[in-house]
Amino acid sequence: MKTAAVNKNVRSRRSLSRNDRFTLSAFVGIPTLLQVVFLWGPTLITIALSFTYWNGINVGDIKWAGLANYKNIFFGSPVFYDALKNNVVWLLWFTFIATPLGILLAYQFDRKIKGHQIYETIFYMPVVLSLAIIGIIWNFMLQPGGFVQGVMGRDIGNALSIWGNYSINSYVIMAIASWRHIGYIMLLYLAGLKAFDSSLREASAIDGATEWQTFRKIIFPTMRPVNVIILVITIIDSLRAFDLVYIIYGTSTAWPLLNILAFQNFAGQGISMKGAAYSVIALVLCVVPILVYLRIVFKEDLE
Amino acid sequence: MSDVNNGISRRSVLKGAAIGGAGLVAGGSLLAGCGKKQVTGDVHFTIRGNLSDAGAKIAIAANDAYTKKTGNKVISQAVNSDDFQNNFVQILQGTPDDAFGWMAGWRTNARADAGLLADVSDQVKALGSSLSAAAIQGATNPSDGKQYIIPTTYYPWGLHYRKSTMQELGLNPESIATWDDLIKLCEATQKKGLVGYALGDKGGWEAMGTFDILNMRLNGYQFHIDLLNGKEKWTDAKVVDVFTHMGELIPFMNKNVLDISWDGMRDLLLQKKCGAMMMGSWFANDFLAKSQADYDDLWIVPFPEINPEHGIDSIDAPLDGISVAANGKNVEGGADLAGFLGSKEGIDAAVAAGDTNIYISSDFDTSSYDAFNKQKLAVLGAAKNIGFFLDRDTRGDFAGPVVGPAIQSFLKNPKDLTKILDSTQAQWDALPAL
Repeated sequence: MKTAAVNKNVRSRRSLSRNDRFTLSAFVGIPTLLQVVFLWGPTLITIALSFTYWNGINVGDIKWAGLANYKNIFFGSPVFYDALKNNVVWLLWFTFIATPLGILLAYQFDRKIKGHQIYETIFYMPVVLSLAIIGIIWNFMLQPGGFVQGVMGRDIGNALSIWGNYSINSYVIMAIASWRHIGYIMLLYLAGLKAFDSSLREASAIDGATEWQTFRKIIFPTMRPVNVIILVITIIDSLRAFDLVYIIYGTSTAWPLLNILAFQNFAGQGISMKGAAYSVIALVLCVVPILVYLRIVFKEDLE
Repeated sequence: MSDVNNGISRRSVLKGAAIGGAGLVAGGSLLAGCGKKQVTGDVHFTIRGNLSDAGAKIAIAANDAYTKKTGNKVISQAVNSDDFQNNFVQILQGTPDDAFGWMAGWRTNARADAGLLADVSDQVKALGSSLSAAAIQGATNPSDGKQYIIPTTYYPWGLHYRKSTMQELGLNPESIATWDDLIKLCEATQKKGLVGYALGDKGGWEAMGTFDILNMRLNGYQFHIDLLNGKEKWTDAKVVDVFTHMGELIPFMNKNVLDISWDGMRDLLLQKKCGAMMMGSWFANDFLAKSQADYDDLWIVPFPEINPEHGIDSIDAPLDGISVAANGKNVEGGADLAGFLGSKEGIDAAVAAGDTNIYISSDFDTSSYDAFNKQKLAVLGAAKNIGFFLDRDTRGDFAGPVVGPAIQSFLKNPKDLTKILDSTQAQWDALPAL
């Protein structure tokens, strides 16, 4: 609050030299231009196309469809609700299980428990892998004829159904995605905790606060900036989920996600603007909660 | 990888510019020799696959034979097959090569209707009686009655099995003639601890083969094609019947249908874990790659009759061939090359280079075939009507995104059939007019 006020004063008093202005406009202008051309442009085109019928060939064939693609998705495509469910499961799992686990680990390691460096390395290891690679690894392990199946003595004919078993495959996929996510969150939180003023912790200990009280009342609120970042990352990662599942299932929608549906309806032989509509739905779901959250945060900061 | 692609396209653009100049010259000489209708000029050809593949070597050998005959140079370029298919529409709108290997059916006809492929009816006509009526009909675009692909090779979808496995079980799949026979065969195989009817549908397209054949056996070829083109309804009792029959096969299937893809099915057969398997014969190459003994053990029979009215008169036999890009620099030359590749001389050159594909042309000498290829021919010969497989017989925005998930849902939960078919029909109805 205080710093914000100081900044304001500095900003209003400061006048920029011509050189500064040039540098600034270059530093801001070029990335903005690239952003507009390569991100906002295609995004706006995709939004516009989602209201049309088109097979992606002749621009002259584009026909206005109104809300038909959306109607088709919301009322005619049961697979959309399967995908939505999977995305929501992903979001809930990450928010209430994977992320808190990462925070818990970071908190424990920050207290320098015995062998914490080894544990940190172990948990951090999967973070250096991309989700696509993680998909390849776990597919090799779990698919029929894979390593785990082999260890269990199951050949391809009587292999345990995992990817195709709808009572467990969601949990398996969540566990695999968490394998990386937990380490990632742990690292972010650990970095935040390193900067944490330990005198606060000592003071609360002297006041007789329990471990849980210290975390909940002192550490967690102080870590607010990190918490915001983690929450935003968790939401975005859950809603943009694609690569892991794409590697395991291909374009097939055996375990659908919004982005898989967008891709399937957009690429290859089956081009239709239903794919654009799926993309827009995913975009809205991604952007809205984040905008709302950031608005709240900025408002509080200004106050 | 994208760098390589860029390199290729940039190079072909440069080449294209050079050819453009040459084309002007060629055009002049073309006018001069008007009466003979001799086609001249370099032709660019796309090979789908790696240059090191056997298929690429065969294509180059056939192209060389064309150069020898006509004096026209053929410049071949190899492109990853999946990339080529996925970017097909974009490639054809840019500066495509003049001719390329392609697939008959919707994938040709829809692009022809969009003006991206050149009419090769004259070349098909020139091939005359060497192409059967069925082959020509298969290559014909229904919307204008013209051909946009020169049909060359094809392969059957049928029940594959290992002769040795069946012998050990004391079964003879060649004797199965009816649906009941097939069920009995599956039962007997399962009793011996093997998978009765191997299926994998993780990819979402593999089970379409079973759907196709059941529909053609039960309701006939015409109904099948009409259904896939919106002239019949998915909610029809006839379609329910197809799924009911598929449901009868589920108890004999492996318990991990949605966990394995076509290669999993292949491995089930390769490892002698199953009896019969409905699949396209192209995978036989993998048996040959494993060992000659495995390949010799492989056999194929037609799917048995279910409805006497239709017997075994239809089959899925995806037809491949050569298409010509409408935006190519040398459309005439491309068409000429395509015609050559479908003719006796072209086929002879390919076969001399080691091609083991089944050619559709009657000029093709089949006496050199091994036993399995002869059997494939027999299976194909038993059918009057040729389907191209569901994802080539219907719209691309319907096959993969709608039918694929529908069949997967059915295999997951057969009790939902009514709901699944209602939704499939609703999604067809929601498709925009083409």
